[in-house]
Parts: sequence; C-alpha cells; structure tokens
Amino acid sequence: MSALHRTLQFAVFTLIEYLRSGRIMVEALATAAAFYLLFRRWTTPMAPEYFFSTVGLFTLGLTFYTGSAILALGDRPPGYVLLARRLGRGPYLLGLYTAILAVTWGVYGVICLLVAATNPVEGLDLRGWLLGTAPLLLNLALLAALLTLLSPIVLPTPWRLAVLALVALAFSGSLIGGPTMASLPVPVAVGLDVLRTVLSTPLLPAFTGFAISVSRDYSGVSIAIPVAQLFLVIGMLALAVYTFARRELIFSS
Amino acid sequence: MNVIEIEDVHKAYEDVAVLRGVSLNVTRGTVYGLLGPNGSGKTTLIHVMLGFLRPDRGTLRVLGSNQLQRIDGRVGYVPERLRYHTRYTAREYLHYLGRFSNLSGAALSSRINAELGAVGLAAVADRQLSTFSRGMLQRIGIAQALLSEPELLLIDEPTSGLDPGGQHDVIALLDRVRTRGCTIFIATHFLDEAELLCDRIGVLHAGRIAAETEMHMLRGPGGSVVITVEALPPGMAETLASLSPAVRCTGQEITLAPNTPALQARVLRALLDGGVAILGLVPQHRPIEEFYLRAVRGEKAPDRTSQVVEPSPDAIVPPPPGPSGTGDTLLRELLSREEGRQRSEPESDA
Repeated sequence: MSALHRTLQFAVFTLIEYLRSGRIMVEALATAAAFYLLFRRWTTPMAPEYFFSTVGLFTLGLTFYTGSAILALGDRPPGYVLLARRLGRGPYLLGLYTAILAVTWGVYGVICLLVAATNPVEGLDLRGWLLGTAPLLLNLALLAALLTLLSPIVLPTPWRLAVLALVALAFSGSLIGGPTMASLPVPVAVGLDVLRTVLSTPLLPAFTGFAISVSRDYSGVSIAIPVAQLFLVIGMLALAVYTFARRELIFSS
Repeated sequence: MNVIEIEDVHKAYEDVAVLRGVSLNVTRGTVYGLLGPNGSGKTTLIHVMLGFLRPDRGTLRVLGSNQLQRIDGRVGYVPERLRYHTRYTAREYLHYLGRFSNLSGAALSSRINAELGAVGLAAVADRQLSTFSRGMLQRIGIAQALLSEPELLLIDEPTSGLDPGGQHDVIALLDRVRTRGCTIFIATHFLDEAELLCDRIGVLHAGRIAAETEMHMLRGPGGSVVITVEALPPGMAETLASLSPAVRCTGQEITLAPNTPALQARVLRALLDGGVAILGLVPQHRPIEEFYLRAVRGEKAPDRTSQVVEPSPDAIVPPPPGPSGTGDTLLRELLSREEGRQRSEPESDA
C-alpha cells in the first residue's frame, strides 16, 4: 500500500471517529446558523463579493475549530497502536490534515449548495464560482497546514511560541504604525519595518488569496497567487512532516 | 539468536533520568518479563524499542535492525491502560489496523476472523469497543497485535486495571499465544503474571536491570511453608520434628523452613496417615517475590558480568515442580478426600 493510499485510509479512519464522536455537530449547527443569519433570502439579492467575503471568513473561523479538534484526536495515546504498524508518521500527519480539509471544504460545499438552491448569488455563473472558490479553498488549506505545523505533536511548545510570535510580528502593522513608529528610534523603526516585510512575505499569498477570491480578478500577475498559495501549503506541510518524523513521540495523556 | 539486544541505553525526560544504562538480551522464541515498580521506566523502554523515543545513549537492535521506525510491521504492540479507538466495532477496528499493516481482501478477513476467534470475541465482533469491558478491550488489544503475525510481541502491563476474572482470562490467553512461537516481551509489575508466563525475567529498578534470572530457577513451592491443621494428636509433633530439623510445630501450625518438595511430601504423608485434618498450606516467601524485593531494595549487588543474578543464598531454590508423589500430588489427594468426606456427611446425617 502506497503512502498516498495509507494517508487516505487514515483520513477516512479519522473522519469516521470524528463523526461518531459527535464533534461534527458543532460544524453542522454553525453551518445552519451561518446560513440562516448570513445567506438566506433577504430583501436584496446577494452580491458575489458579499458571498465570497462572508463565506471566506466563516470557513476560516470554522477551520480553527475543526483543525484543533481533529489534531487533538491525533494527539492521544491510541495513536501509538497505529504508529506501531506500517502506517508511518508522514501518512499519519497528512491523514489528519486531509480529514480537516474534508470537513472544512465539505462545509463550504454544503453552504454553496444551500445558497444555490435557495438564494442564488446574483450574476455568479459556474466560471465565476470556480474562480472565487479556488483561492478560498487554498486559503483554508493554508490555515489547516499552519495549524498542523503548530500542533503539539509536531512542534514543541517553545518552537510553537516562537512561530506564533513571528506571525504576530508580521501582523503588527495595524497595531504599531504611524505615530508609534515615528516615536521609535530610527534604527528600531527601520529594523521593525524590515522584519515585518520579511515575515509578512510568506503570508502575502493568504491575504491576496482572500482578496482575489472576493474580486475574482485574475488580470496581470494575479494568476500567480493561487500558485503561491499552493506552494506555501506544500512548504508548510513538508516542514510539518519533516519535524514530526524526527520528533520524539509523546502523545498527550 | 537475540531478537532484542539492548546495551547501555540511557534515556532522560529533560532533567529526569529514567533509563540509566539498561542492558538486556531477549532470545528468539522466549518470553521475557520486565518487572519493575510503577514509574521505573518499563513503558519508556518499550517506546524506545518501538522507535517512538530515541535513546540519549547506548545501542539498541530489534529484530536485527537499529532502524527502529522501519521494523513496525514485524512487531505487535499491546499498550498499557487499554488505549484504543473505541468508536469502532471490533471487526472495523481490526480491519483498519490490518490495512495499516498492508493486509487486505480475503487474507485480512480471514486473519480478523481467526484472531477474534482466538481471543474469544467472535460473538461480539460487531459491537462497538466503547461497550466492551476492560478485559474484553485487553483481548482486542492482543488480537490487534497478533493480526499481522508478528515475530515479536511487546506487551505493556497486560493485566493492569483488570478484575481478577479479567486478569485470569488475559493470562490464559497469553499462555496460549506463547505456543505460537513468537518472541514475547512483557512489562509488568505483577509477579504472578511473570511467574506463569515468562522464561526469563529482569527487574528494572533505578534505571537499570537490577537483577535478571531464568524463571525456572524461581518456580516451585517456595522458601518456606506453613501448614495449618485442626489439631495434632499426641506424639505427632515429635514424629514430624524427627523428619527434619526444618520442621517446627507450634500449636496448630507446622512450619517447613526451608521447604523442599520432598520434605513437604513426607510431612503431608505423615499427617495423612495420622488422620490429621489439614486446614491450609501457605507458601511464605515465594522465590520470585523475594528475588524481586531484593532487587528493588538493592539488598544484593547485581552480578552484571554473569547476566544472571541468583536468588538469595539462604533461600532454597527448588527444582521445577516434581513428579507425582511429591507434595503437590499429596495435597490434591488430601483435598479430594476432604471433599469426599464432606459429601458423605450430609448423606449420613440424613
């Protein structure tokens, strides 16, 4: 059985456990609530920009929950029994990741079907839907990959805190800007600016991916955005698998 | 050939040293029991063998390989504390674990049916594991470990947390498993388990193998025995004392110290011939218990050069249980006579 086959087998195994544990009810209720509050037929027709930005934010938020819950399922002592077999650490981690994607992409699919059936988005044809959907799904994959990389089974706590600190620094532009930056000594301000630029570059595909899913404007070099998203996903997953394969395996009790 | 070769393995969690130079070898086809108190590092050693943890120092070869993450298909593992995915039925669970061991199709179905039958769970194969008792869960644990017909079975605390009935079932099951010929490594702190199942035992204490011996050296009636009787007829105490200086009579108790099967047989025969009612026969210090306690108390420096630490010099190490006619057989005879007497009494009353 190939690594891909084992990964898919383990993803199915994880999904069955996730469904039977009842945790999926959170996604089901959240989806129902989101549909009722955000996407049901209203007085004015729904615009594509509204649909993609709203569903994009909702599914991103949901990915935090689903990702944490499924990765917690993988961080339990029963995992030792699986990893004592020929499953392998790579397929184990990627199986968890695939299960996260299956749930979050599935939720997106359900919302799209409900919207199409009850409150179609005005002026959105299949092509437009595909153009908006691709970067949106890649953004979910990106967030799921980041959660996988930051899970306790992959990175030890000091490393997780370090990565989170770097992400926070990359996002610090909205908090430390303008007058605050001006009040800092010049070398510090320049250093911070450089750090932000360097650190936020890897996150650029995520932001621009969200923007392109809303605008569906692929003119110029925008076509490179989904490609960059894809490479970022692959890079993060490769780093996660590499680290997990070399880590000592101590699951949470 | 050695299936497990461990030499001077050290392992620490941050600043806490758990293994401090463990060395042991396990020969193919044998059952090795690793005894040790809770927290002595038994599970850590098994996890090192499975490649989950890396030793800080020392060498380790399992099934001839030091690439421990690559021997997984040839090793069966039964974890401690019944840690399984309980939202599956027994059959589903074994199906997935079989797939993860590269089994599939009819061969997998046949292996699942065989192992469920072997552990006595065929009738509940389609019940969810969450409804299983702890004893049943441990049996499914053994079934999953045997599914891929491993060369080596690593079992961590197989009867921990089970009630006496469950413990008995699991020990009986493991006794059947040992006849399959695979090498078995059991970590436990239950001496009965080791006594019944193991060919060789080692005591892990203070991060090292504090003592190690062949199990047959420790089997037998025990270091001393106290026989309790209803009452001794006049002259019987003297008769018994004349059998050996090891016999002492105090009231209703006859102490054989040190005990041997031959002496025990002679004393029981004398009591039987004298018509004395025997109320009990209790071994006082089992050799394995003494061996274990001495090791964990550090009462005797382990002789690591010979790899075999003998039991205490003052304890008599008897040979394996003797042929019929020794104490064991006589005791059974006495008990059956007693049962016969009790059965006949109500009839005579009537």
